[in-house]
Amino acid sequence: MKNMDKEKLSMFIHLLQKVQKQPNQTFDLGLIVEELGSQIEVEEVFEEIKKIVDTERIVYDEKIFDEDVIDKIVDIFRKNKWVFLEIKKDIKSPLLNQLKHLANHNCLQLIDYQGKDIFEMKMPENSRLIVFAERDFIENKISYPHFYRLFGPTLSLK
Amino acid sequence: MINPEKIPFKSPEELKEEEIERKIKERGPEGEILGGIVFEEEKVIDPKTNEERIKRYIYIGNPYEERPIITKLETGASREEVEAIKREIIPMKESFEILEAMARTYKHRQPLLIEGSTAIGKTYLAEKFTELLYGRGVKPLDFYCSGQTDVSELMAKWVPKVETKKEKRKWEKFLKLAKTRVKLIKIAQEAAQTEGLSQEQRLALIHTRLQELAESAGLSGKTQWRLQYGAVPKAMGLIRNPDGSFSFDAQKGMGFILHIEEVGLAEPQVIDALLKIRGKRGQLANEIQLWENGGKKIKAGPKFWAFFSTNPPEEYVARNEIDPALARGVVFKRMGELSEESLYLAAEYYFTYKLGGKPEEKPEGCILEIYNHPEIGREIAKVVSVFHNQLNKALKVKGGGEKGGGEKGRQQRIPLTLDDMARVADALIDTQIRNKETGRLDLTETLKNLIHFYYLDRLADQDLKETMEDNLKELLEGKSGRIEFEGKMLTRRKIFDILVERASMTEEERKEEIERTKKELEQAKHNVEDEIMSALQDPNIPKEIKNELKKIKKQLI
Repeated sequence: MKNMDKEKLSMFIHLLQKVQKQPNQTFDLGLIVEELGSQIEVEEVFEEIKKIVDTERIVYDEKIFDEDVIDKIVDIFRKNKWVFLEIKKDIKSPLLNQLKHLANHNCLQLIDYQGKDIFEMKMPENSRLIVFAERDFIENKISYPHFYRLFGPTLSLK
Repeated sequence: MINPEKIPFKSPEELKEEEIERKIKERGPEGEILGGIVFEEEKVIDPKTNEERIKRYIYIGNPYEERPIITKLETGASREEVEAIKREIIPMKESFEILEAMARTYKHRQPLLIEGSTAIGKTYLAEKFTELLYGRGVKPLDFYCSGQTDVSELMAKWVPKVETKKEKRKWEKFLKLAKTRVKLIKIAQEAAQTEGLSQEQRLALIHTRLQELAESAGLSGKTQWRLQYGAVPKAMGLIRNPDGSFSFDAQKGMGFILHIEEVGLAEPQVIDALLKIRGKRGQLANEIQLWENGGKKIKAGPKFWAFFSTNPPEEYVARNEIDPALARGVVFKRMGELSEESLYLAAEYYFTYKLGGKPEEKPEGCILEIYNHPEIGREIAKVVSVFHNQLNKALKVKGGGEKGGGEKGRQQRIPLTLDDMARVADALIDTQIRNKETGRLDLTETLKNLIHFYYLDRLADQDLKETMEDNLKELLEGKSGRIEFEGKMLTRRKIFDILVERASMTEEERKEEIERTKKELEQAKHNVEDEIMSALQDPNIPKEIKNELKKIKKQLI
């Protein structure tokens, strides 16, 4: 990663850590966009984030079900860590619902989950969620038209 | 003499109504809205125990209306909670229009659908309305629709009871197959359409078919299945326990608030399922029947209420108009764009930090405690609200004739929301750039940087990005962006510099500044007096003018 990108990443993490939106005092979800033609590897970005904050990675692709991704997010939050979610397929309804819950209320809300009629879990104070996706993928493969609205700061990597 | 019989008599109810209306319409010294929501306690006699107890109520009305229609609702929130919730609502006209519609339809058990742009605060107000009824921190049951939403998520689905993770994965894979889903729908249809069966027989039929389905896929036919209810039946029969948790009773649950968002994105089969909650005379259904559970009915508790929201169709490329059947079955309220006045009001609330969240100590990265200087916040609000409006308009007109506009060549839409402003305001607290020459906060550069980060870096359309960068520069530093400030036409950069300089002064420096200004004023006064004196001695100046000058001199003294 170039030094300039490292600086931008550090600012991006800082804003995710510090900024609590008025009036609900909610934290933002972050979006890292890999622009077309970028030479940056996702592993490189993840490793760089790990140097700043304790983070675990989830790859959302054809091999994984939404329910498993949600289980993993719950687990990572229980460990007070950050989630680095790499999106490689269109987001299905169960995961989209939870991303929207997190973005709007900083809370997961699940029906009939872990033995509870309504399971609610607040995103821990020290946890955040960052989504990583390619620009081309977002523009052409994500069917939810308000994808960008889920996020606060957006880091564009060229 | 006044005939005592002609003096209008006001009943205690009328007097109470007048008092509530006065409180709803209450305004502060600067005309700011203080009312809109009123908390009251009333003593009531419990008919069962004959004991006196206190009941809490909220009154909701639109304070912008001359004669607001006020709705009274019982609440579980305390006075302090209601006051705190009120402080978190920016008193925009649109906010009260939405809250008033929510209160009225909730009271009459009517489903409400609000179509309005993303910035209008539908989600936020649904959350606040729930808090007003149940207390701080209570959220509605939220369901977000998308093109991917499955009817089973809203209604019900059968899920196998499995023990091991390996088994679970095997089942999940099987259940996600399109042909499995079709078969599951067919099983429910068969149970619904076979005549002459009792509810138990229907359930038995479903179980048999589910077992056959599992066996056909090479999975254990002995697997037990359980019915998992979706968001709609759950909301109808939810019980909110005293500890804040929820339980469910399909027959005796009290019901809860269900917010179905972005309903305009839902596919027709999802809309068909949602139509089940329509009842008689425009009200919500008292019960729904689900064929997935053999036709067992789910009763809607007295506190069940459904609120739908969606963005206007022009904000999407691939979005349908609201289904006419759904639109007919709900109270449908279309909201316009947020007015410029409301946009500025919101910006003023964010940048003067009226909504709380001021740090107790000066945070790291903070050069000037901007949150303690509302005079600066008001100037920032003017800039950000204008910029926000400009970008919002640009995003809507661009797009080369595509439905809804947006940035050219992209599928995704970036409608602006008030959150964008809130983010800039919050980041401004501790992400500040120092002016290397003065050592003080460089507010112009800081704002440019944050607006870039939160507004412009999302844009993929480079032309639009450059145009908006130029617009921002012009607004802050250009000739056309100048405004009147303390009698002079100045750029916003200059105004920011003046305000930051004043706010950055120590007490001693401030006193010195006042002294210096006093001296300058005194000097200016002497200069004027000298000029008048010399004019009075000038024989060429007419007497009338001299008389006027004498008057001015007197005033100066």
